[in-house]
Parts: sequence; C-alpha cells; structure tokens
Amino acid sequence: MRTRIASGVLTSLLAMIGIVTVFPFLWMVLSAFKPNSEINAAEQNFLPQSWTFENFLSIQENFDFLRLFGNSVFLSVTITAIVLYTSALAGFVIAKYEFRGRGLLFGFTVGTMMIPWAVTIIPRYTMFVDAGLQDNYLSIIVPAAISGFGIFMMRQNMHAVPDEVLEAARIDGASEIRIFHRIVLPMSTNAIAALAIFQFLWVWDDYLWPYLMINDNANQVLAVGLTTFAGQYGTDYGGLFAATTISILPVIVVYIIFQRRFIAGVASAAVK
Amino acid sequence: MTLTTRPKADKRPPEKNNVIPRKPRSRKRGNAGERTLRNTVIIVIGASLLLLTAYPIGLAFVGSFHYWNPLSGAFDFIGLENYTDLLSSGEFWSSLLRTGVFSVVVIFFRVALGLAIAVAIFSNLTRGKAIFRTIFYMPTVTPLVAVAYIWQMMYNPQTGAINTFFGLDINWLYDPNFALPSIIGMTIWKDFGYAVILFLAGLHSIPEDALEAASVDGANAWQRFWSITLPLLAPMTVFVVITSIISYLQAFVQVLVLTQGGPGTSTQLISYLIYEQAFVKYDFGYASAAAFVLLIFTALLTLISFRLSAGRKNSLEG
Repeated sequence: MRTRIASGVLTSLLAMIGIVTVFPFLWMVLSAFKPNSEINAAEQNFLPQSWTFENFLSIQENFDFLRLFGNSVFLSVTITAIVLYTSALAGFVIAKYEFRGRGLLFGFTVGTMMIPWAVTIIPRYTMFVDAGLQDNYLSIIVPAAISGFGIFMMRQNMHAVPDEVLEAARIDGASEIRIFHRIVLPMSTNAIAALAIFQFLWVWDDYLWPYLMINDNANQVLAVGLTTFAGQYGTDYGGLFAATTISILPVIVVYIIFQRRFIAGVASAAVK
Repeated sequence: MTLTTRPKADKRPPEKNNVIPRKPRSRKRGNAGERTLRNTVIIVIGASLLLLTAYPIGLAFVGSFHYWNPLSGAFDFIGLENYTDLLSSGEFWSSLLRTGVFSVVVIFFRVALGLAIAVAIFSNLTRGKAIFRTIFYMPTVTPLVAVAYIWQMMYNPQTGAINTFFGLDINWLYDPNFALPSIIGMTIWKDFGYAVILFLAGLHSIPEDALEAASVDGANAWQRFWSITLPLLAPMTVFVVITSIISYLQAFVQVLVLTQGGPGTSTQLISYLIYEQAFVKYDFGYASAAAFVLLIFTALLTLISFRLSAGRKNSLEG
C-alpha cells in the first residue's frame, strides 16, 4: 500500500514536470491554428475557437517558407551524410589501427570541440569571403564536413566491433575498406543513429554561419529565415507561430521515430 | 573522464605488440589497404585541422593586435591596444560576470533537475518510464532559434501564456530585473533533458551488486543513494558540468532572438558582445581579442573541472 502511494506521488510529480515540458510545444502548435484576432484577444483560450490554416497560407505567400525549408533539408541531409561517413571512418581508423601520432591526432580533433565559435568565426568569415564562396553552399558544407564530436563519438563506440571479427574478415581476404563498409558500419548503427540526429539538428539549428555566408534570401536557411520573418512581420503572431511550428516539426518527428536508438547512442557516447 | 584515461592507454610503446604473434600476421595481410585508409584519414583530418582551425586561430591571434575592419580593409598594427581597451572596459567585465551568473544558475538547475528526474525515472516506483524519457528530451532536440521564438511569445506581457496562466503583469523581456532570469528560465527548460538522459545512463551503469551488498549490510535507500549512487555518478556530473561550461560561455542565440542584449545591457552575455563587436560594428580586432580572453577562460574552467574531478577520484579510491 505504501509503495503504491509512493509510486503514485512520484509518477504524478514527473507528470507535472512533463506537462511543463510539453506545454510550450502544444501552445505553439495550437496557436498556429488560431486567427490573429484570437491570439491578440484579451480573453485567451488554450484551444483555438475557430481553427484556421490562414497563418500557414499567408506566411507561404509573403515569405517562401517551403523554399527555405527545402534549403535546410538539403543542407542538413547532405552535411549529416558526410559527417556520418567521415566520423565513422576516422573513428574506425583511430580506434583500431595503431600508428605513430594517433593519440595526438585524436587529441587535437577532440580539442577542437572546446574552442569557442567566437575565436574561429572571424578568420573563417574573411577566408570564405576572400575565396568568393559567399552565397555558395560549399561555404556551409566544407567547414562542417569533419566533426570533432562525431569522430570522438564514433571512436568511443568502436569497442562494439570486436577485434576478432576484424581479424576473421582479414583472414578471409576482405580488404580494409570492405571491412569498414560491411562490418564496421553495420555494427555501429546505434552510434550512427545518435550522431545523425545530433548532426541533423546542429545544421538545422545553425544560425550565425549561414547568416554570414548566405546573402541571397532565396537560398537562405530556415533558422535565419525565421529571424528575418520575425524582423519584418514581428507583429503577425499567428504567422510566427506557424513559422516556428514548421521549423520544429520535422526535427521532432525524426526524433520520435528514432528516439530509442538515439537515447541509447547518446548515453553510450558519454558512459564509456 | 574518457578524455583523460584513453590517451594514456595509447602511449603504450607500439613495439610491445610485436610480442603478440597474432598482430604482425594481420598487419601483413591488411598492410596496403590499412596504410591507404590510415593515410587518407590523417591527411583529411590534418588538412581540416590546419585550414579550418589552426590557421583561423593564428589569424585571430595576430588580428587581435591590429585595428582590423573588413569594411574599410584596415589591418593596422596597434600592439596591445585592443586588449587594454577590453580589460579596462566596464562593459566587458560586466558581461563576463553576467555570463558567469547565467552559466552557474543554468548549470546548477540543469544538474540538480537532471539528477533528481533521472533518479525518479530510474526508480522502480515510476510508471511510464519510456514516455517520460522521450518527453524530457524533446526540448533538447528542438532548434534553439525556434525555441527562443516560442518563449518570446510565451513571455509576451499581453498575450503570452505565462502572464495569462499565472495572472501576472510582468514585462518579462523588457524589464531589466526580469530579462536575464527569463533567458535563464528558457535555457533551463531547453537543456535539462540532456542531463536527465546522461544521468540515467550513469545510473544504468552502476553495478547492482554494490547496491545489493549495501542493503544486505542494512543501508537504507537514502544511505545507498548518498554513499554509493552519488559518488559513482561523479564522473558523469563532471562530464555534464564541463560540456555545459563550454556551451554556456558561448550562449548567444537566445540573447539575439529574445533581447538583443537589452534592456540596456542587462542581458549582454560575453558571446553576444563579441558577435556585436564583430558583425554589427565590424571591429574584428577588438572582437578577436575578446574571443581570445573567452578561449582562455573556457580552457581554464575546463582544466579546473578536470583537476577537481581527478582529485576527487583519487580521494575516493585511496
């Protein structure tokens, strides 16, 4: 009986924190379906009194969000794919091969994670502007292609691939690159899934660098578009709710689909 | 913790491996392929480190001794002037102090909430563990720019959910007393779930025997928590604290969206100050000097955290 009460208390406490956590999301999505007259009314309701798609239609008309959405999807998917491959390969080599300078290479790679963006962003800005790469997606893709965090995470996870399996494959005459593709990659799916979501989110979320590199509004990313939209239509709360909903929903959907793998991967990266 | 233990193992002299007969044989077999793969990785990472990290750091360092403005094309040596300007500027120190307050408060709540919630979810008494785990992590995977806009609307004094719900009349983001706490609140909401997941992972890795042995010896739940669970979670706590320090010293997007440093300078964090100097005023030299000071602070704080955790580990083992 006592444990049942304790269980009820504990679960309801967590449920309360859970509601606080979810509330802003629900409020945003529901508000996106309210007409502006309802959003600005003195009397506030949690649920829309009259549901409308008007906010979504008007922001699409005034501000090509689908285009920005497409740009962000393209960049996020491209960069994530590159980072997954480079990180897994580097993680594999650093974890499983022995060579001089291995510790140093790994140390420097991991060390890059500690450097504030403020230190490197100014020289990088001048470098990419001088190279004429402004308004070119290469300026977004190239600096993101090698990730210290990704290499760190994949290397930590390589213990999931036993040396004996690699030896056996070598004895069977498999080439190193084939071993990497056919054995190492399939055995690292948890870490890859976790890194994929992290990396996708980072690109999706990156604000300052695309803001500096992309001047052409049509090629801009969603995160920057959101601030531009807010600057121009800041009083159109319904539009802003719709725009944030659009920029959040894909990430949440991806997360909910993969969350089990993801949480396992995040945890394993930190525990070892 | 991983950072300190792993590289040590790598320092093992490679000759030793020749004693094991298995290794050299496989070396011969995979030799060419292995070398190609290894060299590719070294070259690609090396080039990226040099071009995108080492060179920019060098340029920023040199630039910090110059009057450097990309709009006018100026790059004039002025010695330590940027640094003396910076270190004698009240704005710089107050934004550094503000960043300290911001970081300490957010990290405290992140760790405390994360630990408490993780322990609660871990408990056998809790129902629906998986749902809670999923929910609490949701804000962490949500893009920060969008989160900042949601909260901007939540904080709206007329139509925002917070004033409406609690019947308050506070102008959260435009009152100098409430602006920074508002940003802190938003950041805690966004980030506590990360700590929950990491502490949960830490809890799962604690050997059950230790806890069982303690309860056989008559330790109650609290004693087990204080003398076994908590010390064993220390490395994870250090990990959360260090990654938090690094990211909060760089926090900037929430300030940009919510307050632009205002009202006055009441929410101007150090990274926002650098952003403004660099890309609003285009004073690259001054901004670089500030960025270097930030780098030194980050490195020092990280080092101190590592040291503290290492000392703690030794005292636990000894």
